[in-house]
Amino acid sequence: MAISLPEGSLEERLRRYLEGLSGSHGLEEAGIEGNVVRVVARPEDVPAVLATARERLGILHLSFITVVDRGDGDFELTYELLDLRGGRVRVRTNLRSEEPVIGTVTHIYPTANWHEREAYDMFGVAFAGHPDLRRVYMWQDHFDHHPLLKSFEISTKRTFEGLR
Amino acid sequence: MLEEKRKTVTERLASPDIRDEFGLETMDMNMGPQHPAMHGLLRLILELDGETIVRCDPIMGYLHRCQEKIAENRMYPAVIPLTDRLDYFANMHNEHGYCLAVEDLLDVEIPPRAEYIRVLMCELMRIASHIPSIGFLLLELGAFTPILYAFRERERIQDIFEAVTGARMMFHYIRIGGVKADLPPEIPEKIWNYIEGLERRIQPDFIDLIEGNEIFISRTRGVGKMTPEQAVELGLTGPPLRCTGVDFDVRRDYPYSVYPELEFDVITDDAGDVEASYRVRIREVWQSIRIIKQCLEKMPEGEVMADLGRRLRPPEGEGFGRVEGPRGEFAVHVVSDGSDVPYRVHYRDPSFVNMQLLQEIVPGHYLPDIMPIMGLIDPVSGGWDK
Repeated sequence: MAISLPEGSLEERLRRYLEGLSGSHGLEEAGIEGNVVRVVARPEDVPAVLATARERLGILHLSFITVVDRGDGDFELTYELLDLRGGRVRVRTNLRSEEPVIGTVTHIYPTANWHEREAYDMFGVAFAGHPDLRRVYMWQDHFDHHPLLKSFEISTKRTFEGLR
Repeated sequence: MLEEKRKTVTERLASPDIRDEFGLETMDMNMGPQHPAMHGLLRLILELDGETIVRCDPIMGYLHRCQEKIAENRMYPAVIPLTDRLDYFANMHNEHGYCLAVEDLLDVEIPPRAEYIRVLMCELMRIASHIPSIGFLLLELGAFTPILYAFRERERIQDIFEAVTGARMMFHYIRIGGVKADLPPEIPEKIWNYIEGLERRIQPDFIDLIEGNEIFISRTRGVGKMTPEQAVELGLTGPPLRCTGVDFDVRRDYPYSVYPELEFDVITDDAGDVEASYRVRIREVWQSIRIIKQCLEKMPEGEVMADLGRRLRPPEGEGFGRVEGPRGEFAVHVVSDGSDVPYRVHYRDPSFVNMQLLQEIVPGHYLPDIMPIMGLIDPVSGGWDK
């Protein structure tokens, strides 16, 4: 089998990941919490950080990309990487822009293709260099909204209003 | 051979001269969203050269309910019944994943009996998902009997679920801090009797009936063939990944609940085609039976619900839950702002991610091979559309 899954003890691997990531990029924050390596990077460094993780450290699996809208054009992106043997790397970045743009990671993790399409559809976060940045759920024409933005209000907001 | 075929097709189409000379043209065809053999509402735009598929483009969103937005406007416990509606063949796993994420946020201890009941229910759910998925695969290949046998098994498991939870599909049973209610006194024996019978029936009713059947082999062997590298690149998890030989199982590699105390094997197969995915699924049923037996034997007495108070207000922060659903890794990311409503809930559904292989693997196959490949992924509409 050509896929090489990581070996060795978990702590040792996590330390290796932390050193590998913090050594080569100007990270804002880096540390280990439980079995997670938490890393905060600048938005422009994210593709490079993930390329290091995939190619130099051999972390195989991108689990998901979460976008959190903190309001007023402040977006928080979380990339969760798994080495498939107990180790996790969580790359976090903050985008501050009304029209957020970040570099794609599809050339590093091809699975990011649909994750990024989903993030674009739901939040309007554009991924520069993405091969096929279409909406994935909502219809392509005549729909100018991004439903998961906090500014997009739904009519049945806050059920249980009377209870609180 | 498939590689060659695919290469010739692409090369032929890439050259405009040849296209003019022979009058070669491709045809666009829609498959679905209303298609009798499709797993739910999915539209595939297929570009065909004769009967060979050149391009496959899945269009989703026909069942999109924006569950994540709805969850942002409900209190924490009120999101659980919504997660039931995500992947409706893996309701228990969805509830479990969400509850694990909120419990991670709250940092609470769950009574051990509740943990065992959760694992027991999840493994029954896995059987009730794997066996019908095999039935669907064969139904799409033209065999009608296996789906009847499969649904006979699923019905009996649903009867057990009905006795335990009061519902047959949308359970709302796993709660934040435990489970809704203890098992009724006669249920452990009923489950034991059922799985003993199932263990005896798998060999004659499924394996002997399906494996070795000439039509089954000719329709599935070598179809949807992928390498481990491709599977890992596409981010596949669950049986589609394990059928290529990569042994990754969230239950073993990212242990949660009481799985570290239970013994089971991770089933893999090297072929990486539809037949291999069938073999992985049917053999996982045996492992689930093993886990259920251990759960019933080891289950301690005691409470089934931790006392969390009436109103849940998790501290500011974020929680992660990750479970191995029947289709693969189901992960939940919950972000809290300190109020009683989640600030953001994100679901990573295995059906959604696994479906990416349609774009990569399908080109080069014949049109009728789409259905076995859908059987390999076994996606569920509620899952990929959230």
